[in-house]
Order: sequence, then C-alpha cells, then structure tokens
Amino acid sequence: MAQELDDLEDLFENAPCGYVSAGADGRISKANSTFCNWLGRGKAELVGRRFQDFLNIAGKIYYETHFAPLMRMQGFFNEVALDLVRADGSPLPVLVNVVERRDEAGNLRFVRITVFNASDRRRYERELLEARRAAEKANAELMELNRTLEERIAEAVEARLKSEGALRQAQKMEAVGQLTGGIAHDFNNMLAVILSSLNLLERRLAKGEDISRYIAAARDGANRAASLTQRLLAFSRQQTLAPQPLNANQMVAEMSELLRRTLGETVQIETVLAGGLWQVFADKNLLENAVVNLAVNARDAMPEGGRLTIETANCHLDEAYAAEHAIKPGQYVMIAVTDTGTGMTPEVMAKAFDPFFTTKGPGKGTGLGLSQVFGFVKQSSGHINIYSEVGHGTTIKIYLPRFYGAAAKAPKRKVGQDLALPSGREVVLLVEDDQQVLSLTAQMLRDLGYGVIEAHDGTEALEALAAHPDISLLFTDVVMPEMNGRRLAEEALKRRPNLKVLFTTGYTRNAVVHNGVLDPAVNLLQKPASLEQLAAKVRAVLDS
Amino acid sequence: MTTLRRNNVKVIGSGAKPMVFAHGFGCDQNMWRFVTPAFERDYRIVLFDHVGCGGSQLSAYDPQKYSSLEGYADDVIEICRALDLTHGVFVGHSVSAMIGAIASRKEPDLFDELVMIGPSPRYIDDREYTGGFSEAQIHELLDFLDANHMGWSQAMAPVIMGNPDRPELGEELTNSFCMTDPEIAKKFARVTFLSDNRADLPAVKARCLVLQCSEDVIAPQSVGEYVSRQLPNGEFVLLQATGHCPNLSAPEETVAAMKAFLEGRPG
Repeated sequence: MAQELDDLEDLFENAPCGYVSAGADGRISKANSTFCNWLGRGKAELVGRRFQDFLNIAGKIYYETHFAPLMRMQGFFNEVALDLVRADGSPLPVLVNVVERRDEAGNLRFVRITVFNASDRRRYERELLEARRAAEKANAELMELNRTLEERIAEAVEARLKSEGALRQAQKMEAVGQLTGGIAHDFNNMLAVILSSLNLLERRLAKGEDISRYIAAARDGANRAASLTQRLLAFSRQQTLAPQPLNANQMVAEMSELLRRTLGETVQIETVLAGGLWQVFADKNLLENAVVNLAVNARDAMPEGGRLTIETANCHLDEAYAAEHAIKPGQYVMIAVTDTGTGMTPEVMAKAFDPFFTTKGPGKGTGLGLSQVFGFVKQSSGHINIYSEVGHGTTIKIYLPRFYGAAAKAPKRKVGQDLALPSGREVVLLVEDDQQVLSLTAQMLRDLGYGVIEAHDGTEALEALAAHPDISLLFTDVVMPEMNGRRLAEEALKRRPNLKVLFTTGYTRNAVVHNGVLDPAVNLLQKPASLEQLAAKVRAVLDS
Repeated sequence: MTTLRRNNVKVIGSGAKPMVFAHGFGCDQNMWRFVTPAFERDYRIVLFDHVGCGGSQLSAYDPQKYSSLEGYADDVIEICRALDLTHGVFVGHSVSAMIGAIASRKEPDLFDELVMIGPSPRYIDDREYTGGFSEAQIHELLDFLDANHMGWSQAMAPVIMGNPDRPELGEELTNSFCMTDPEIAKKFARVTFLSDNRADLPAVKARCLVLQCSEDVIAPQSVGEYVSRQLPNGEFVLLQATGHCPNLSAPEETVAAMKAFLEGRPG
C-alpha cells in the first residue's frame, strides 16, 4: 500500500508534464516537481498565486480575454499555446489543458491544469512556418519566372517565325532571280531574232530582194515573246480571264490525246466522267493548262510509270466545309487528277501551292506549276484540295462553281487562217500615249483600209472627235496620264452615244477589268496584238 | 445587408427599457449568458456580436471603418436606430466600455446609463497616466500575435480554423463560444490595445458605473478609478471577483452591483 502510494506520488511529481491544481478562486494549491523544475521556482513560490501570473504579457492578456471566458463557458480548454516565464526571465513555450472538476451538486471543486513542454513543437512550428513562407516566396518567384518564361518563349517563337519568313522570302527572291534570269535570256534570244531580221530586212529592202522570210522570222520571235509574257502574267494571277460556259467532260475528252502524247507510254490514262455533269464558267485555255499541269506533276511523281485517273463529278460543298476553307458553299463541278505515285508528306502538301516551291531538282522545274493552277482556280472562285499518302499516290481536286446559265454552243475551231483579213473603210480615232505604238498601230489600221486619226491623249482625242463627225470607232489605250481610257470613253459617249469603243491595254489590272474578268460591256484587245487579232477585233466591234 | 444581420443582433426579455450588452475583445455575446437572466423580466435585452466575432457577418469587415473604435461605436448607434431604441442602458465589457462611451458621446439620447466592466481608455502608460502596460509590452503582445503560432490560431479560432489532421481536436474545440476570425482578431487587438480614448470620457453625459475587478491584469484598479474620475457622472465599484471577466467568474456579484446602480442605491 505504501509502495503504491510512493508509486503514485512519483508518477505525479515526475510525470513528463506539469500538473497544477487550482482552487475555485483560481489560486494554485498544488504543483508537481516537473512544473516547478521547468519554471525554476519552488513549490512554496507557486502556491497561492494564479497560473496566469506566470505567463508572459501576451499570455496574460489572452488568458484573460479568451481562455478564462472559454473555460467558464465550456468547462475546459485544450492545447492552448502559451509562453510561461521562468524564474530567470526566459520563456518556456507550453501547451496548456485546463479542465474544471465539479462535485455532484455542480459546485467547482478545483481546476486541473496540465502543462506540456512545447519547446520542440514550437521550434518545429517556427520552422514549418518559415518553410511555408519560403515555399510561398519560391512559389511566387516560380510563377514570376513562369510568366516571364512564357513571354521569353513567345519572343523566341516570334523571332524564329520572323527568320523563317525571311528565309522563305529569300528563297523566293532567289527563285525569282533564277526565273528572271531565264526569262531575260529567252527574251534576248527572241529580240535577237527580231533585230537581226529587221537588220536583214533593211539591207534586203535596199537591194530590192525578197523579204518575206525575215518578216516571218521577226513575227515568230515577237509572238514567242508575247506568249512568254502571257505565262508570266498567269502565275502572278493577274491574267485576264475569258470565262465561258464549259462542259468539263467534253474538255477532258478532247485533251486525252494531248495528254497521252505528253505523258508518255509508261503512264496509263483513265478517265471517269460523270453523267449529267453541270456546266462551269471558266477560261477554257487556262483550265486545260491546269489539267495538263496536274497531269505533268502526276507523271513526275511516277518515275516508274503508273496510272493517271482524271475524274469529273457534281458535288456540293456544305456550309461547314466552305467556312473552313473560306469559300462559298454550294454546287461545284469537281475535276480530280489522281496518280499512283510517290505521294507527298504533310509538310510538302502544306507548301505545295506556294509559288516557287518545288520538290524537283534544280533546273527541272520552276515551282510555278501548282501555284499557277491554284491562282487560276482561286481567280475563278473555285477551290482546290490535295489528298495524298506517301507511297500510294496523290489526288488533286479542282472545284469550280456550277454555271446556271444556258449552255454555250461549242464554237468550231477555225481550221487554218483566213487569207483575207477582215477590213473596212470607216474612220478610226486612235488614242495612244506611246508615240511608237501609236504610229505602228495607225499603220496597221491604214493597211487594213481604215481611215485613222491619231491622238496622243484624251484632250486631243475629244478635240478630234468634235472636228471629225465621220469617226465611227474610238480605239483607245486604257492607261494614260491625265485622262485614262475609261474616262475618255465616257466623255466621248456623252457627245456621240452611237460611237463604238475598243480598249487596248498591256496591263490587266485597270479600269476596264474587274477582278481579272472582262467586263462584258466593254471590248478589249490585249496588247500586244497581231495584225490578224487587230483586224478581227476592229471589224467585230464596228459590226456590233 | 441589414445592421441586425451584420451584428447578429438578438433581442430577448419582456421589459420596456432597453439594455444593450456589448462583449469585449476575445469573446462574443455568449459572455453575457450568466448575467442576462437577471434582467430579462424588467428589460428589453439587446445582444450582438462585433463584426469579426461570433455570428457576425465576416464579409462586413471593412479594415478602414474598423481601424478605430469609432467604427465599432457607429455600429452600436446603427443597431439602436435599427431597433428604434433610446434612453436605454449600455453594458460594455472591457474595450466595449469605451465603445459605449464613444457612442454615448456621439448620440447622448441613446443611453441614460452606462455600465463599464473592466474599462480602460488607454492600455499603455503615458507620463503620469498608468495604463498598466509599457509600450514594449503591448508591442510584445502584438508581435506574438503576428508570429501566428498554430496553437494560437487554433485556440483563438476553434471553429473557423478546424484541424483536418486531428478531427478529435476539432470536435473538442468545437463550440459556439468566442468564435473569431484570426486575421480580424489580430486587427481588433491592435485597435484595442493601441487605443487612447481618455478625451472621450468627460464628454459622456450619461450616468456611468465602473465595475472594477480585483487583480485585473488587463485593466488595473488605478485605471478603473481614473475612468470614474474622468466621467462627469461616474460611480466606481470594486468587486471581490478577480480577473477580467466578472460577468463570467462572478455573475451574482456583477448583477447585484448593476442592479444597485440602476435602482439608484449605493453600490
């Protein structure tokens, strides 16, 4: 029994926590050795004092304002962090549990205060709080870094895109350089033919010899030069279109012989033509060109030979597809050219329509073919798409808007040249600001039998019109300084409503041409024109 | 948001004369639970929580408005207006004794009597004036608060903070008493312990009772005596009760002193 008491006594005195008992008046009646040792005070010093007397100032205040009321209201409080002050003045961080002990009648018998040394815990807390603060700071720094990183990446990407763009531009310029070099070379050759022919003409004329050979040679050179400039205009998408109602089936059928010859024997040509194919409204020559272009590309993709399929079909491009490709939804005629060749990678596909982009080696292609096709299709309000799988082949589909007008009568191709050129005796008012072109054209018209009145600009032309009531045709250049051809024509028609008007121009983006399509109301002769073209056009306008 | 909702106002009692109870720093209207039953029959009792405490709307806490006790006094005036009460009794504990003094100075018709329990117009000593604390001690208090020890936060805000890692602790500490938002409590402590409302005291026209506890570390006896001297109609009663909350630790003695004062008997 005595031993048990000793044991309990030891447990109370030397427990790992402080035990303090206080009476109903809050005054300490008992404290264990552990608590006394922590505070560095004797038991006698503690008895009769209040627990809060040994707290630091903050503890005193919070004890009175928070924890004493809490204990009074709920009878206990747990794990309150407080600082006790030791006899030597140093703080002792503690956790305090307090509970009231009441008798059966509810009267307060005493208050049990249990104190845990929280030095370590407080240190952990401090470290934890510091770690949290450090983590928050690091997080803030990281977010800042992240933010600037995004900016830096954006800048780098932009710089990269810029340099890629510059590189692409440089590549294009290099290609333009190669191309213009080639063109200059061709042009020089043609000019050489013309010039030497003219020189020979001069000498033969002086001797009275036959000169027709040289005239033919000079005309041939000039025609080739004209054809070259036409091709250049085509890839710059500034060509003048002469669209007409067209049956693509008929066109493909007419071309098959040409294709067979062009593509060679290793390529097997198949055509799948839809029945009841709608009409399109397109420039026939250019559409033929496009198909030839695609066919030649297809052949080049099949060096070992293969099958080329040309297919036509009616189809409907719906709103979603149209919106995605920035075209008008509706009915289209599709012309597809499919090969069984090497196919294209997505990267190549993405660039296939870029001008000067080519997969062919140097000297084997200008990279203008597909770009030219793309330009023509876009200019015709159509759409073009590539489907390709590497190792299997490529399909390129051209979509042209359905034409709703009446089918045109297929004009019969002229066989051979009319020997007698269309001519007349009417008076033509010729307006041209280039003196050389003016006198040459005037001479051609006079050769055809017409009376010609020459004017260098709009003002002169209007004066001449007033002075010569016998003028039947105004034949004017479009682009002239001060008054352009269109304005001149408007002024002239105000005075002479029945006057016939024929425009001529070397340019195509000008006042009489809308979006590259001939304004149906005006007559236009494309420069340079041969004598035959001039004769036919002037006669046609006068007779209209 | 209405004033009554904002301050969690409760009205009880069957009497006519209003009696408004205002809790002090660290507690809420629950601290009056042992006192109010004694007045329910004769008074219309109004209980409320300061914004940031108890059941008040924390969202109404405006740091600018509550940067001085004036903001809290304005709330008291608004509550009285909302309830359309005048010529009542104001019972303020600790810092609310000064809040009541300010409200009374601004609106003298609101209260005929003020009961100030443990009042202090200034906690920091100032030349001849003894507030009970040196400036250094008050700053030690505020620094301790700013150090934001977890135990403190938990103990101060048992309900609001919670402790997901130790649910048993949360349950033990879960109670409806003295809830407070730790951040607002820190600011309220700063406003309270740095306040100086000595100049307001002579302007209070109402009859005032200063209830002073023995051994009150927060408001020492000399401060209570100072307050009653500065008030034009101040009475001073020293209670046997110790500590700072006689309304909790010695409600009978507190009620008796209040009744004596209100009935005009010498305390």
